[in-house]
Amino acid sequence: MTTNLGFQFDQTLCTGCKACSVACKDKHDLPVGVSWRRVAEYTGGTWQQDGDTFVPNVFSYFTSISCNHCEDPICVKVCPTTAMHVGEDGIVSIDDDKCVGCRYCEWACPYSAPQFDPSSGHMTKCDMCADYRAEGEDPACVAACPSRALGWGPIDELRAEHGSLAGVEPLPDPALTRPRLVIVPHRDAQPTGHGTGAIVNPEEL
Amino acid sequence: MNVHELPMIAFTILAQMSVGAFVVLGIVQIVASRRFGAQAIDKVTDPALYAIGPVMVLGLVASTFHMNDPMNTLNVLRHFDSSWLTREIIFGAAFAGLGFVFAAMQWKKWGTIRQRQAMALLTAVVGLALVTSMSMIYYSLVTVPAWNTIATPAQFFTTTFLLGALAVGAALMGAVMWRIRIASRGDVPADVEHDVVDPDSRKLLTSTLKGIGIAAVVLLGVEFLIVTLHLSDLAGGGAEAGQSAAVFSGAWFVARLVLVFLGAGLLSVFVFRYASSKAAARPLAILATSAFALVLVGEVIGRSQFYDSMFRIGM
Repeated sequence: MTTNLGFQFDQTLCTGCKACSVACKDKHDLPVGVSWRRVAEYTGGTWQQDGDTFVPNVFSYFTSISCNHCEDPICVKVCPTTAMHVGEDGIVSIDDDKCVGCRYCEWACPYSAPQFDPSSGHMTKCDMCADYRAEGEDPACVAACPSRALGWGPIDELRAEHGSLAGVEPLPDPALTRPRLVIVPHRDAQPTGHGTGAIVNPEEL
Repeated sequence: MNVHELPMIAFTILAQMSVGAFVVLGIVQIVASRRFGAQAIDKVTDPALYAIGPVMVLGLVASTFHMNDPMNTLNVLRHFDSSWLTREIIFGAAFAGLGFVFAAMQWKKWGTIRQRQAMALLTAVVGLALVTSMSMIYYSLVTVPAWNTIATPAQFFTTTFLLGALAVGAALMGAVMWRIRIASRGDVPADVEHDVVDPDSRKLLTSTLKGIGIAAVVLLGVEFLIVTLHLSDLAGGGAEAGQSAAVFSGAWFVARLVLVFLGAGLLSVFVFRYASSKAAARPLAILATSAFALVLVGEVIGRSQFYDSMFRIGM
């Protein structure tokens, strides 16, 4: 039996330091404008009446996202060249010899995982650090996280340990692509589709 | 204008216009064959048929600018069983190829009339498959609410037949004006128009233009219905749908509606009323060409806004 790999992310531990994002960028030497792993800051709040005073009730939490190597990868489905493909371990990656850079996968993916590199004219994306994993090491983002909010491994084991939640704002409905992603929710985490907040750092995503 | 998606705007508009024109010419052939002989019809419609080829090729050339690594272009044929983009490219190339063969058959009078008709039917079916796969590229993206709606295929097919019909009208009259100009060169232009266009061709031309005028007005109604339903649909959707709905407002949106209304409404009514066997060619040609030009510009703006309305759910 082959094991399909996935990521696990704990919103209760993440401080939004973005070490994962920078470690990924450094490890893969990504050009300006390409960030395979990004950290979304989701913020909202309301006023609540307490006697004769109104008190603010606000929340903010972080979600670190790269490719979730989905079970139903829409990028693979729409790719005209078959460059976007699923490996034996469930990892979705790009065959550089096939990609034409039409950017259709970029339109389709609700996690912005496939990203365009203007210098090669091809799409690029996270392969969960295939080379590191082959040497028995953790992916760069997981290894870099100072609060150990990120994990990776066989998705069945991650789900057995942490549950199977993936539908948390600002993430899309997991029914769309069935991501191999497990989220440990922040205490203020809001379910997808019922969010009252907004992403406050869209320029970083 | 959405400059970034210019290759896609050009390709979708030109390809849809080509398919529409081909189908409309086919309908003219079928409807008119009872009253006029095949030869009389060919004489009038063939110039328009030959004009489709360059337009379609121009569209296909524009589409290649969408590829950022042209060296790998042939790989786009690999995923026919899953990707609508692969299907679009295959049907697009097939439509162009079959259309070229059919045009050559018409030109050289190869094969029997039946064989040529079969070829035309096959080309038209592949053309409609092209428009279908083109719209499915956008319709099938469940992550883009503004595209994942029946409005996408409905609008693509409306554009196909509206632009196709008006392009045929403009091309037929353009061909007449061209012949008159050639004939009047040198000698005294006593009544060139009557010498160039025989009475049968005249009748065929005017009834075709009348039909095109009616079709344009009907399709105008369909287009405005699609726009209205799509907008109310988006307004009742989620946050991304709301962002998309906001695109369909302002000066460009109004300009599009006004241009399509003037071309497919007002001028098409004029074409319908003015087209008679006694009408002079020049004003009719100007009317038909202006109607086509206005709708073309309107549809280009509409397609540009279609790409602008791309707001994807998620992050």
